[in-house]
Amino acid sequence: MAAKNGGSLALFLVLCFLLTSPPLARGDTPFPINVWPKPTSMSWAEPHMAVRVSSSFCVIAPSANTHLLAAAHRYSALLRSERYRPLVPPAANLTAAAAGGKAAELRRLTLAVSDLHAPLQHGVDESYSLEIPPTGGEATLTAATAWGAMRGLETFSQLTWWGHAAGYRRAALQLVVAAGVRVYDRPLYPHRGLMLDTGRTYIPVDDILRTIDAMAANKMNVFHWHITDSQSFPLELPSEPALADKGSYGEGMRYTVEDVKLIVDFAMSRGVRVVPEIDSPGHTASWAAAYPEIVSCAGKFWLPDASDWPNRLAAEPGAGQLNPLEPKTYEVLSNVINDVTSLFPDGFYHGGADEITPGCWKSDPSIQAYLANGGTLSQLLEKFVGAAHPLIVSKNRTAVYWEDLLLDQAVNVTPSTIPRETTILQTWNNGANNTKLIVQAGYRAIVSSASFYYLDCGHGDFVGNNSVYDDQRSDYDTSGGSWCGPYKTWQRVYDYDIAGGLTEEEARLVIGGELAMWTEQVDAAVLDGRVWPRASAMAEALWSGNRDAAGRKRYAEATDRLTDWRHRMVGRGVRAEPIQPLWCRSRPGMCNLVR
Amino acid sequence: MAASPYLLLLLLVLHWPAAAPGTASSPPPSEPPHSPPPQKVQVWPKPTSISWQSSVYAPLSPSFSIRAVPSHPTLRDAIAFYTHLIRTERHAPLVPPGNYTVSRVPIRLLALSVSDPEVPLGPGVDESYTLSVLPDSGSADISAATSWGAIRGLETFSQLAWAGGGPDSGGQSIVPSGIEISDRPHFTHRGILLDTARNFYPVRDILHTIRAMAFNKLNVFHWHITDAQSFPIVLPTVPNLANFGSYSPSMRYTENDVRRIVRFAASFGIRVIPEIDMPGHTGSWAGAYPDIVTCANKFWAPRAKPALAAEPGTGQLNPLNPKTYRVAQDVMRDLVALFPDPYIHGGADEVNTACWEDDPVVRRFLAEGGTHDHLLEVFINATRPFVTQELNRTVVYWEDVLLGPKVMVGPTILPKETTILQTWNNGPENTKRVVAAGYRAIVSSASYYYLDCGHGGWVGNDSRYDKQEKEREGTPLFNDPGGTGGSWCAPFKTWQRVYDYDILHGLNDDEAQLVLGGEVALWSEQSDETVLDGRLWPRAAAAAETLWSGNKGSTGKKRYANATERLNDWRHRMVGRGIRAEPIQPLWCPLHPGMCDLSQ
Repeated sequence: MAAKNGGSLALFLVLCFLLTSPPLARGDTPFPINVWPKPTSMSWAEPHMAVRVSSSFCVIAPSANTHLLAAAHRYSALLRSERYRPLVPPAANLTAAAAGGKAAELRRLTLAVSDLHAPLQHGVDESYSLEIPPTGGEATLTAATAWGAMRGLETFSQLTWWGHAAGYRRAALQLVVAAGVRVYDRPLYPHRGLMLDTGRTYIPVDDILRTIDAMAANKMNVFHWHITDSQSFPLELPSEPALADKGSYGEGMRYTVEDVKLIVDFAMSRGVRVVPEIDSPGHTASWAAAYPEIVSCAGKFWLPDASDWPNRLAAEPGAGQLNPLEPKTYEVLSNVINDVTSLFPDGFYHGGADEITPGCWKSDPSIQAYLANGGTLSQLLEKFVGAAHPLIVSKNRTAVYWEDLLLDQAVNVTPSTIPRETTILQTWNNGANNTKLIVQAGYRAIVSSASFYYLDCGHGDFVGNNSVYDDQRSDYDTSGGSWCGPYKTWQRVYDYDIAGGLTEEEARLVIGGELAMWTEQVDAAVLDGRVWPRASAMAEALWSGNRDAAGRKRYAEATDRLTDWRHRMVGRGVRAEPIQPLWCRSRPGMCNLVR
Repeated sequence: MAASPYLLLLLLVLHWPAAAPGTASSPPPSEPPHSPPPQKVQVWPKPTSISWQSSVYAPLSPSFSIRAVPSHPTLRDAIAFYTHLIRTERHAPLVPPGNYTVSRVPIRLLALSVSDPEVPLGPGVDESYTLSVLPDSGSADISAATSWGAIRGLETFSQLAWAGGGPDSGGQSIVPSGIEISDRPHFTHRGILLDTARNFYPVRDILHTIRAMAFNKLNVFHWHITDAQSFPIVLPTVPNLANFGSYSPSMRYTENDVRRIVRFAASFGIRVIPEIDMPGHTGSWAGAYPDIVTCANKFWAPRAKPALAAEPGTGQLNPLNPKTYRVAQDVMRDLVALFPDPYIHGGADEVNTACWEDDPVVRRFLAEGGTHDHLLEVFINATRPFVTQELNRTVVYWEDVLLGPKVMVGPTILPKETTILQTWNNGPENTKRVVAAGYRAIVSSASYYYLDCGHGGWVGNDSRYDKQEKEREGTPLFNDPGGTGGSWCAPFKTWQRVYDYDILHGLNDDEAQLVLGGEVALWSEQSDETVLDGRLWPRAAAAAETLWSGNKGSTGKKRYANATERLNDWRHRMVGRGIRAEPIQPLWCPLHPGMCDLSQ
């Protein structure tokens, strides 16, 4: 490996910046070093020291990987522009002078990467180590891959802050960095994701980019893009342009091929994979605008009889399911899979397959005939997946599906339809129980249990003309209309043990987790506050765990750190919600439930 | 049957370009075959009475202007604001009306006539107005008894305008020609409470919120300025309260800030009622005056003992220390100098017995036969008359002062003429108790009007979230559906919940007379300016309509179903005006009217 890349290591690009900084000085209150997610292992020599970042500080990066180069540029710019001032002023002593009387400062950060060409894919090595010498000079960041180096760059950026030059005549702020620091870091789980639904609500490209940028800052590495749903089909596909033409919310609310390229490339230069999901055969009403003949029950009112939930046509407004008996279905689906896999380079393709609603298929005359002849809904689904799965696999992709495909009581497929080698199941119901069922069946699992990881929960219901709210008694049903209430606080997210209750062998099949942002009640206006900092909570739990060295859950200790990190994210332009009154941060422990 | 809604979808998609903000719009195709019933006039809150028979719109002239006769300083800022807004806004409705024509006569002038422009802004002021756009006259008129009514009319006029004229209107917005509106509010007190003490809000975000209130014809900004966590207002006589009690020098409201906020609010006909909560919720006073605050800076929930506060942040003014009243009177005198409104809010909620008992002098008082109620009475008697008599203000207190449950005083020391009670517990029951006792009431029932509810808990080190298993049936729920998730007033109050609340529920006519109105409340433990808009809007808009023109249609049926589509559009317009209101439904829903309902 080293030999293969030896040549490229020789070529470095030097990214410097000029800072007009006032003279250095010292600060003195205790400063807990805060890197989020907390690294696996980090030491900071006592007494805690910090050095000024030189006004001509440079990041020296190998130039053979353009994504890494872009990352080095970006962090160089971030250091220059970020004006992060910790809520509680830092306690590190500034190293005033190096030997020889010259002010100590950090002059460069040098990156060493052993395999510059390791592609960004599931399971790629993201480990890194970082060393910042006590007297400044040159810091080194070593990583096996460019993606690990990006994680290290993020860590480095979080070790810097603007410190006040108190005690010096010309008191002023300057960029300083913790010195005498060694970090060795690697993630617990290789799959740390956020799912964003752009089918219920269109999310503009800029907001997606900002979200991915924030993910990278939290060392998350999978953007699961739930692109389409019953409500809209916003993705322009070259072979099937009619789907977006007719199924999107409108011009200006579609993702073009260029948009997708931009998003995928933007994500890659942050070490974030983009896993596309085209949900099918359910959640496809939007396909009917272009192809009414392939969608069952499209255009019908979703709940013909409010007192008869089992015979609903969809889980929520927007009814329509692809008809597995219609040959045209597979023609369209094949084009979709072809196009999507050529737009998205990632090795995973998410096929959806959640919430098959029996009432929808049962209302279709052609399906009624099939059922009358002894066919079952499960056979129907198997017919669909039996055709879709090989298409996905033929593109050299691993298929991800929602758990329903295997675990739904009413409509499911036999495991032989979805071979374990090419299938991953994403769980969302019944917490740890369903994770267990999946891994016991031998499948790899991605955990998105709604009772921990669904960010939309607890916000009431969006369905209109609902008399349940018109109840003048003050005390009423506390679910407030949200099927998965209550709201998942950051502590709830943080505390989830996604491999809880599994044997060691079973646990190995859990590749990670994803928070899910379904967007019935979310658009760009409120996106940041819904996602952050709760996604940060998962990011740490999946990166370095939710326990301290003694094995105790560390949610209490994480509170102040998360407040600090949220503060830093807001400064970086992410409108994350506050988790406590500011009062709490400067009074450690005083806002706890138990002292 | 199955295909028709999709035909509709197709048509709407074709319409879409007209809906992109900022683009010049083209007239919709004539006679779309399956056009939805047009929402002919979209004004939120819905006016009491609208009459518009024609389907003719008049374009606004590029030189459109607003003139008041006679002109009056109270209207100057509103006229400037609305002139600019009406000229520049190009609202594209989510579902544009169909089948209309655009008249050739542009409207150049909106004339305001106010019969008594000297009437000051204050409780119960007449906010009625009439608005008419005379066909082909080139002008529109608003008549109102007061400037404040005229300002409501200006807002209505701004919402009548939308970008639908295409080339016929020269790219200008159009308004319904021949429309007549007559409008007045059901309740005179329609407010938002914002807590700027748990977390700080910059002045610009407060101004932004007040502007959004004006869009919704809300008229009271109840400013819960201080609390146990911080004291952000700089008071000239007692500056140390902010110096030592605010979060930081940059997180303080200066005299200039306050005057600017009050003036800005008044220019939109919005009153600002300041609240300095006391004697509870005063931990932040201890930074400057440790001697007047009991139990300050203690852990709020000591093990095996009663809690010292309702939430982290302990401290209560000591009623037995004479210095308490010197400081409190300075505070109130300064406050009255800054806030011209006839009301002042004195707080008095959640008085905690254990906190007072933490003080030795209080303990002696209790040992000698004194009671907690007596302590509160001492406090009220030493502060209330000063405010009502010397400072000439009506005092608003939280219901707790009369209703407890733990510490309360009798009605004799709360004269009804100068006391208003704001209710927050037990829904209509407590409103009934307040008015049955003869007090005027402001309704903020938590189970309808608390906008912070249902967001889980924020207190740290809470092991209850660390439950990996599904909660067993029969046990108290916490994390599973039906559980509170840590929020004492869960669940989240959806806009429908807010909209449906009848604040007069269960009252007879006489009692109902005493209900001044309502306020939605945003307590800020888990919000600051990053998420403010989405927490307030459009839910505060739901309350705004209910309090302005009610939540029932002309048949007396609750109109929440009809309001859904209108609120989708109004939220869309607010976003266009820079308010980051949250969406209430997927866009699919307003584009498919009725399809997102629970029952058809």
